[in-house]
Amino acid sequence: MAKPAVIVVGADKGGVGKTTVSRTVLDYFNANNVPTRAFDTESPRGTLKRFHPDITEIVDMTATADQMKIFDTLNNDVPSVTVIDVRAGLLSPALASLRDIGFLDAAKSGQITFAVFHILGPSIASLDEIAETASFMDGAKYFLVKNFINNTSFFEWDQATYNSYFHRIKGATELTIPKLNEMAFEQVEVSSVPFLKFVANKGPKDENANYSFVLRGYVRHWLANVWSEFDRIKLTDIVGKEKDKDKDKDKSGGDKAAARSGGEK
Amino acid sequence: MRRTPVYIICSPRPLVGKTLIARLLCEFLLLQRGSVVGFDVNLKEPSLLDFLPRVTETAEIEDTFGKMQLMDRLILNDGIAKVIDLGFHAFDEFFTMIGEIGFFKEAARRGVAPTVLFVADNDRASGRSYAMLRSRVPERSFVVIDNEFVLRGELPDAFSHGRLLNIAALPVFLKTYIDRIGFSFTGYLRQERDSSTELHQWIRDNYFSFRELELGLLLHGG
Repeated sequence: MAKPAVIVVGADKGGVGKTTVSRTVLDYFNANNVPTRAFDTESPRGTLKRFHPDITEIVDMTATADQMKIFDTLNNDVPSVTVIDVRAGLLSPALASLRDIGFLDAAKSGQITFAVFHILGPSIASLDEIAETASFMDGAKYFLVKNFINNTSFFEWDQATYNSYFHRIKGATELTIPKLNEMAFEQVEVSSVPFLKFVANKGPKDENANYSFVLRGYVRHWLANVWSEFDRIKLTDIVGKEKDKDKDKDKSGGDKAAARSGGEK
Repeated sequence: MRRTPVYIICSPRPLVGKTLIARLLCEFLLLQRGSVVGFDVNLKEPSLLDFLPRVTETAEIEDTFGKMQLMDRLILNDGIAKVIDLGFHAFDEFFTMIGEIGFFKEAARRGVAPTVLFVADNDRASGRSYAMLRSRVPERSFVVIDNEFVLRGELPDAFSHGRLLNIAALPVFLKTYIDRIGFSFTGYLRQERDSSTELHQWIRDNYFSFRELELGLLLHGG
């Protein structure tokens, strides 16, 4: 039986692109035929659920019943990857809860694959979160995600500051999410479809849509760059799946091929 | 289905004859196909819109909305030939954008046949831009224009690797004559009975070159 994998996407700050990154992760797994389910902790209304309604459930991570819903079902065969989009401000409390229920110990002993995508904002306060989160990261794959959605430079111009934050945690891997054209981003928002469907010019129910070729082109280009980052960190290997090698032959593979090269299927 | 041609006339340099070539090509396509749409992305230079207002639209690519308005038209396989008179200000922005959105691949998939007509000049910027275009534009879709009025018969060797289209130089008084707003090349061919005049032959030679381009499109999957 495949080892269950849990990916937590979070930040202690709002508006840094947690849900955007979660969406790209779900699209990536979809394109690689990795069965995935998602939990959106923006209770009662979840943004992630709007884009991926079929696989997303809204939960309140502070409620024991919902914690059970997520973690007591991890050993089910399919799907084997669980993505949790953690609401702003809840990352540290959520990790503390995971520690309290013994989840982090299970990850440390190798029973569960656990990865954290920590989305960083452009402020010093946001970088301070790294140290706080680091204390929970034993046994986890820790990714510091620099989301360039706000055109921030993450203090790269000041090496001392940059190093003091980004080199503080051993084993943390940096991940870069490039900026997506604003209008393209807004058009996907309005369309309420996964990025992959937008690129393939499909509506929420797989019906043909009529999105702008230019905006689809920008999204395709951006998504390909994001996925190349996921390829770089071998995300499918991390969750214990071999990367889909015959991706053009099936539906999701076709979507992925569309995202990486030619646009609409 | 017949492919829809899209001609992109460009140079990183001003005053190399882009608008003149765009005018000629628009009039030729209008004569041959019965319809054409010109896009003037050239608002800071002498403008295609001034010469052919009935078939020309202005386009701006400084913002995403303008890019959408232009490119979403260009990608349509609607059988209407399109000519883009791309001002030198917009050169880098345009080709960066079409690289990012995968224009050439999508065009091939949709039955649209883009052709980049690069007007050569013997300066460093043109050399750099030529190299950039050769790496990004499929060879079949790339044509270098040797405008003798600009290069005086001295096309640098670096430009002579791919397909070449020659525009002969006209005497200055004829150049001034055709540069008048309201002058029509096809109108001149129809009205001038003496087909041996230099201008008559010049227009016919250029129309012949354009017909070769169009035939090339037909032969390669049109």
